[in-house]
Amino acid sequence: MSVDAVAGPPPIELDGIDLSDRDFWVRPPAERHAVFDLLRRERPFAFFAEPLVPMLEPGPGYYAVTRYADLDAISSQPAVFCSGEGAVSITDIPADLNEFYGSLISMDDPRHAKIRRIVSKVFTPRMLEQLVGSVQQIVEDVLDAARAKAEAGDGNIDVVADIAAPIPLRVICDMMGVPAEDRPLILAMSNIVLSGGDPELVENQDDPLTAFLEAGMTLAGVMERLAAERLERPTEDLTTALVRSEVDGERLSHAEIASFFILLLVAGNETTRNAISQGILALSEHPEQRARWMADPSLTRTAVEEIVRWTSPVTWMRRTATQDGELNGFRFRAGDKFLLFYAAANRDPAVFADPHVFDLTRDPNPHVGFGGHGPHFCLGAHLARREIAVTFQTLFERLPDLEVTGEPDRLRSSFVNGIKRLPARLTGAR
Amino acid sequence: MSRVEVDRDRCVGSGTCEVLAPAVFEVDDDGVLAVLREPAEDELPDVRDAVQACPTRALALAD
Repeated sequence: MSVDAVAGPPPIELDGIDLSDRDFWVRPPAERHAVFDLLRRERPFAFFAEPLVPMLEPGPGYYAVTRYADLDAISSQPAVFCSGEGAVSITDIPADLNEFYGSLISMDDPRHAKIRRIVSKVFTPRMLEQLVGSVQQIVEDVLDAARAKAEAGDGNIDVVADIAAPIPLRVICDMMGVPAEDRPLILAMSNIVLSGGDPELVENQDDPLTAFLEAGMTLAGVMERLAAERLERPTEDLTTALVRSEVDGERLSHAEIASFFILLLVAGNETTRNAISQGILALSEHPEQRARWMADPSLTRTAVEEIVRWTSPVTWMRRTATQDGELNGFRFRAGDKFLLFYAAANRDPAVFADPHVFDLTRDPNPHVGFGGHGPHFCLGAHLARREIAVTFQTLFERLPDLEVTGEPDRLRSSFVNGIKRLPARLTGAR
Repeated sequence: MSRVEVDRDRCVGSGTCEVLAPAVFEVDDDGVLAVLREPAEDELPDVRDAVQACPTRALALAD
C-alpha cells in the first residue's frame, strides 16, 4: 500500500471553494480530494451558485452532497429526490431536451421502471457471458495494434487514443451493431456530448449548447438509420432487440430508441474509457500494487472495484427534491437541487478505512462508483467490470513493458472525471 | 429453511445477485428476476452476499 504524496498542501479556505468553477476540475485529484475532505467534514450540504451556461437561465443553485450516508440516503429515496427534473445537467434544460439527452437517467417511475425492464433484458449476466469471448478478442486486437504502432514509430503511444478509448467503443458498437465506418463519428460526437464544454472539444465557447445539440442530432441520425435497417432485417444485436421489444404491449418510440442509443453510446464510452486510462495511471503511480496484481490474477475481482472507487469516472448525478423534508438533520425544500458527488463519497473515512490509499485488495468495497442504492444503479456495471478486468489481465500479458511517461491532460468537466491524453511508451519496442 | 424474498417494486433486474449466487437467482429473458429455488444450507453465504450487494435493496432472507 502507498499513500499519495501530499507535501505540505496550502491551507484551503472553506469560503473560497467553488465547485462551479470549471478550472477546479482540471486540478490534480489530490487537490480536489482535499477540497472534498474539507466540505465533507465542515459543510456536508455546501451550497453553490450554478455555473453559467450561455443561453440558459441559471437556476437557484445546488447543494453539494459529499458524505456517503447522505448520498446513499438520497439515491435510495427516488420518490423524494427525483431524477425527472434532470440528472445530468445542473442548470434546468427544456423538458424535451432533458428527456432526449438523459433518457433513463433523467426519468422517474413508472416510466423508468417500464423502460428499464426492456433494456435490462439485454444486460443480464447471462447475455454478457456470451460477450466475454468478444471482449477478449477486442482487447487483444487493440493492444496488438498499440504495440504495432509503438514498434513502427519511436515506441510512444497515447494510453487514451490507443488503448482506453477504442476498447469500450468497439465493445458497445459491436453490441449495438454500429458499422465500422460510423465509429469514428460516434466517438467524436460522444466526446462532444460529455465534454462539459472543454474548449478543445467545443470550439465556439459562446454557444456550447448548439454544439451539444448538433452532436446529439448526428448520433440520433446514425441510430434512426440503424433502427430502420434492423426492423427490416433483424440480426442478433442489441438494436434489433430494442426495436422489437414491447412492455405491456407498448413499443419504444423512435425518439425513445434514439435517446437510449445516445445514452448507451455515451455512457458506454466515456466512463469505461476513463476507468481504464486512470486505472493505468494509478498503477503507474503505485508500482508495488501493479506488481502484486501482475503476480496474482486472483486479485482481479477486488482490483476492478478499487479502480472504479479510485477513479469514480462519473463525478456526480443530480437529484431534485419533490417535497419539503429533512435528511440526516438537514432541512430541505421542494425544488432544491442536490449534486451527489460520488467521487467524494468514495473517499469518505466513515466508510472506507484509509480512503486515500489505493489498495487493490480492499474488501469489502461498497463504493458508489456505479451509483448509490436505488433504481438508477448503473445498467452497464457488469459490462464495465468485465471490460476493465479483461483489459488489465491482457495488458499485463501483452504490454507488460508499458510505462507512463508524462502527465495526463485532463478534461475540463465537472461531470466526467476524464483525461484526454496520457503519454506512454513500450520500453520493449525497438 | 431460509426463504428468499424479492421486493418486485424495487428490483430492476440488475443481475447482481445472479453473479454472486447463480444457482439461486436468474434474471430471465424478460428481464425479470426469478428465484430458481430456495437456497441450500451451503449456498447461504453466497445468498447473503447477494442480498447485501443488491443495488436496489430488493432482496431479503427470511428464516
